[in-house]
Amino acid sequence: MTTTFFRSLFLSTVLGVAGSHAGDEALRPTATPGGAPAPAIDRGLLQLAGSRPAGGGAMVAGRSGMRLDYQKVAPGISQAMMGLENYVRTSGLEKSLLTLVKMRASQINGCAYCLDMHTKEARAIHESEQKLGSLAHWRTADCFTPRERAALAWTEALTLIAENHVPEELFNETRQHFSEKALADLSLAIISINGWNRLNISFRLDPESCPVE
Amino acid sequence: MLGLEHYARNSGLEHALLELVKTRASQINGCAFCLDMHTKDARAAGETEQRLYALSAWAETPFFTERERAALAWTEAVTRVAESRVPDAVYEQARRHFSEKELVDLTLAIVAINGWNRVNIAFRTVAGTYQPPKP
Repeated sequence: MTTTFFRSLFLSTVLGVAGSHAGDEALRPTATPGGAPAPAIDRGLLQLAGSRPAGGGAMVAGRSGMRLDYQKVAPGISQAMMGLENYVRTSGLEKSLLTLVKMRASQINGCAYCLDMHTKEARAIHESEQKLGSLAHWRTADCFTPRERAALAWTEALTLIAENHVPEELFNETRQHFSEKALADLSLAIISINGWNRLNISFRLDPESCPVE
Repeated sequence: MLGLEHYARNSGLEHALLELVKTRASQINGCAFCLDMHTKDARAAGETEQRLYALSAWAETPFFTERERAALAWTEAVTRVAESRVPDAVYEQARRHFSEKELVDLTLAIVAINGWNRVNIAFRTVAGTYQPPKP
């Protein structure tokens, strides 16, 4: 049995998404990257969503503000997204781990609103300042457990999927620290935060309006 | 995930447009299973071979409408959010061709296909066997 087959079975049986999108019939290895190369983008010309000076305070000149209130324009959006979110919250994964994962994805994607929310959540559950401060450079920090490091590596791979295609060795390494069910749940958590990041960056949600649970 | 999919399918956005968006996001992310599915769905719905073959170079072709071009530019920016941060120019172009509600719905469709791409790439769902439903 190939790892490819294993991963496919894992998807349909554990994540329960076999429906229209996750066939488990065929067995041969596949999935070579087929995307066109990314266009060159001048990062200097791009504006970070809701970026502001370190430590808070006055807004950066030129910050664009909220483009539109998507939750008001299409209330069904939040309901659909909360379906994912509620699954993740009741999955049994540790809240501290989920918060680190959500923060790391939001750092990569550059979502100011999500970073503000999940940093506040992390502090509310007494996450250490050392971990919060080291998160962007977790690979060279010694304050994360092997399970957290595995989750962060998986988070980075899934978030930057167009670049790395989630290599076999990473899958095998991550499985050392997560059961099939836990890895499927972790992946859904990463998909969910990637979705929130895209909505909140696309429509420039204001971190000032960010609620804390 | 099917909750997101259900929302996008019932949003009122044109089926042909949604298939182009799903195919383009799957090209960028490199999801073989999703590409196989959505090119088959697109053909079943009457999409032309010419447009499907040229989709990865849509900006250089004359055979996509202005609304489709705005949707494809939005799809690329939202899919590559870590690089693009979804620039104002792309937003403004999209708003010229989509109402606020349509653009939010389009964005959710992009979020959904980005989610499916991640599931199917991460767990290596094998491409090739999907068959579109009979009309």
